[in-house]
Amino acid sequence: MNVIEIKNLTKTYGNARGIENVSFHVEEGEIFGFIGPNGAGKSTTLRTLLSIIYPTSGSATVFGKDSVQSASEIKKDIGYLPSEVFYYDRMRVKDLLNYSASFYKKDCRKRIQELAEIMDLDLSKRIDDLSYGNRKKVGIVQGLLHKPKLIILDEPTGGLDPLMQQKFFDLLKEENKKGTTILFSSHILSEVQKMCDRVAIIKEGKIIKVEKISTLKESNHKKIKVETKVPVDVDFFDADGVTNLEATNNTISFLFSGNINLIMRKLSEIELSNVWVDEPDLEEIFLHYYEKEV
Amino acid sequence: MNIVLRELMSSRKSLIWWSVGLLAMITGGMSKYGGMQSSGQSANDLFAAMPKSLQAIFGVSTLDISTALGYYGLIFSYLLLMAAIYAVMLGANSIAKEERDKTSEFLMAKPVSRSRIITSKLAAAIILLFLFNLITFLLSAMMVNYYDSGAEITSKIAALVGGMFLLQLIFLAIGTSIAAVSKRPKLATSIATGILLLTYILSIAVELSSKLENLKYIIPFKYFEAKYILAGDGFDAVFVILSVVIVVVLINATYILYQKRDLNI
Amino acid sequence: MNMFLHELKVNRKSTIIWTLSLVAIAVLFLSIFPTIEREGEEFKKVLASYPEGVLKAVGVQIDSITSFLGFYSYVFLYIMLCGAIQGMNLGMGVLSKEIIGKTAEFLLTKPVARKEILTSKALVVVTSLLITNIVFMGAAALMANIVAKESIDYQVFFMISATNFFVQLMFASFGFLLSVLVSRIKSVLPLSLSTVFAFFILYMFGSVIGEKAVRYLTPFKYFDLAYIIRHSGYEAQYIIIGSIFIVATVAVSFIVFTKKDIHTV
Repeated sequence: MNVIEIKNLTKTYGNARGIENVSFHVEEGEIFGFIGPNGAGKSTTLRTLLSIIYPTSGSATVFGKDSVQSASEIKKDIGYLPSEVFYYDRMRVKDLLNYSASFYKKDCRKRIQELAEIMDLDLSKRIDDLSYGNRKKVGIVQGLLHKPKLIILDEPTGGLDPLMQQKFFDLLKEENKKGTTILFSSHILSEVQKMCDRVAIIKEGKIIKVEKISTLKESNHKKIKVETKVPVDVDFFDADGVTNLEATNNTISFLFSGNINLIMRKLSEIELSNVWVDEPDLEEIFLHYYEKEV
Repeated sequence: MNIVLRELMSSRKSLIWWSVGLLAMITGGMSKYGGMQSSGQSANDLFAAMPKSLQAIFGVSTLDISTALGYYGLIFSYLLLMAAIYAVMLGANSIAKEERDKTSEFLMAKPVSRSRIITSKLAAAIILLFLFNLITFLLSAMMVNYYDSGAEITSKIAALVGGMFLLQLIFLAIGTSIAAVSKRPKLATSIATGILLLTYILSIAVELSSKLENLKYIIPFKYFEAKYILAGDGFDAVFVILSVVIVVVLINATYILYQKRDLNI
Repeated sequence: MNMFLHELKVNRKSTIIWTLSLVAIAVLFLSIFPTIEREGEEFKKVLASYPEGVLKAVGVQIDSITSFLGFYSYVFLYIMLCGAIQGMNLGMGVLSKEIIGKTAEFLLTKPVARKEILTSKALVVVTSLLITNIVFMGAAALMANIVAKESIDYQVFFMISATNFFVQLMFASFGFLLSVLVSRIKSVLPLSLSTVFAFFILYMFGSVIGEKAVRYLTPFKYFDLAYIIRHSGYEAQYIIIGSIFIVATVAVSFIVFTKKDIHTV
């Protein structure tokens, strides 16, 4: 079953661009990455999904229900963590979390305690007195306290130190194991690479590609670098599937895509002193997509 | 200078709205003049014999509303109220808005001292008040002269508007000093307007009860009343001095208190 | 229910402050009443030297104005002024503070329909105002009992006092509508204060110049307190128009708010 199904979603602000014909779906139990640079339309898409803003055209369903028609019903099972956390000033963390819990018709007290412990959050503090990172933690607890079936995260890691980020990711993975679906929006590739099963890449309001992370990496290039004992003619490597060929002294590097055996055979013909074969990271693939579009 | 310009730019729209209000008030009010009849000598005598409190309730005053200038004096009391509201909010907002809109971090990271910021904001506010008064004066002089042109009309109106300017300076300083001391920007505007309301209500109470007469020294609305200025007495020196003292003290307080306080980010 | 209780708690302090302020104003003004009553008596002796006709005409007016209810309805205007500011602030603030404080996102991602949010907010406004008025009326009645020598017609007294609630509701619903229609309100108080004072000045000026059309324009004039004293009843047509206004503004607020995009950051 698809937890989220977005069909040709378009949102325009007057003449300004919002999002255009965005379509993708998120399957039950997966961690889905939503990635793009600042201002690409990630937040717009998420807010439309939560009917904070309404689509100009197109539609979205969550749990098989229309996101506008059944908005409040859907939200019973959604946990949302905004990119910037703003909460009622002059309230204690505890009071805010209890207020948040009061919207869901279940007892969340135990879960609040658990989460606060994991995230190392002082419940008795006033929200005004919290630092940016600590406010973010309030946001995390607030988004997870009712055991949602779908967690929507909008650039969630800003302000969290690496240790907390790790704890947060572990928390998410644990939730995911219990069957929770996660939609994870970010512009930081490494975290998406680390967390997600599939990813949608958005740029200037349009979805460029929806792909499995593993496929993204597979279907693309290998980074190969060799060091030879004696100078070799660069043209020797210029074969099908080789790009970005560069040579300095005895070191030659290039990107290769295609049948890996072909290039291995070629390499075996020369005397090597060293060889590196790397998976290109998502960043390179990402830039690759972006450049292609320009 | 850049801060002054920025302040002026951001207050431009609200000044325009207030000017529209002034325009409506002055032209609308004065256009009603003419339909008014002199209430007749005997009745005037009678009202003059009335205790001050009853006069207030009856809505009569020593202003002779059969003349254009006297009638304008009636409108002027409402203009004073408008002017005070504008000034107190201008004062409180100009200081408090940086924290309210979370821009204080931006400003404080720049190589300007806090006193420089206050000076710029005050300069901008005074320019705005000056424009407010200029507009009031021009509109008033035009409208009153339209109905009754006399040599002294323009100078009397100038005197009234001069009093209004002083009143505005007082309320501006009240606004800035409260915003300078208050840690919560929202509270600053509330307190400042609370003081405005309080003094206004007290000014009514003073009209009603001669026992409260001495309260007039703490009620700026009582400093420059049209009925005294138009009667030819001009400004009361006590009130002018009092105004200057209040303004100087509060402005100084603004500098000192804002300098010392932790800003709320 | 949770939103209602939460909101009520948030507004607790301001409701208390406003209630106390209204009570304080009532106490201040009503404590002046004995003086007014005495001055009225003395003035009537002065009147004895005037011709029969004047005596009759003015004497009756003096009597009605220096009666307790006459005086109360005169000062009640200033109570209504403060009440109106409370109403407008509350009506306008209850929604826009979520936008200003950027907490709208919090509410909108909860499993509640927008109309439920609005309903609880509107109910909080009504409840807060109701509490204010009940306490105010109790305190004012007590004060009336202390200062008035004559026996007071409490039915009329409460009928006059209740008009405050109605006027507050009108301003609150107007503020509610503004907060939905005007996007990006930066701070509530300046806007609500200028609106209320605009209507107040319109009223004051309208009664001075005797302009009939003003009655329909400014809520302050929806209730002719003298009419209430004379007839022990309200003028139905204004109640109807006022009610239509309240229902219409709230209805439009609901329609607009449920359909509009909320820009959170």
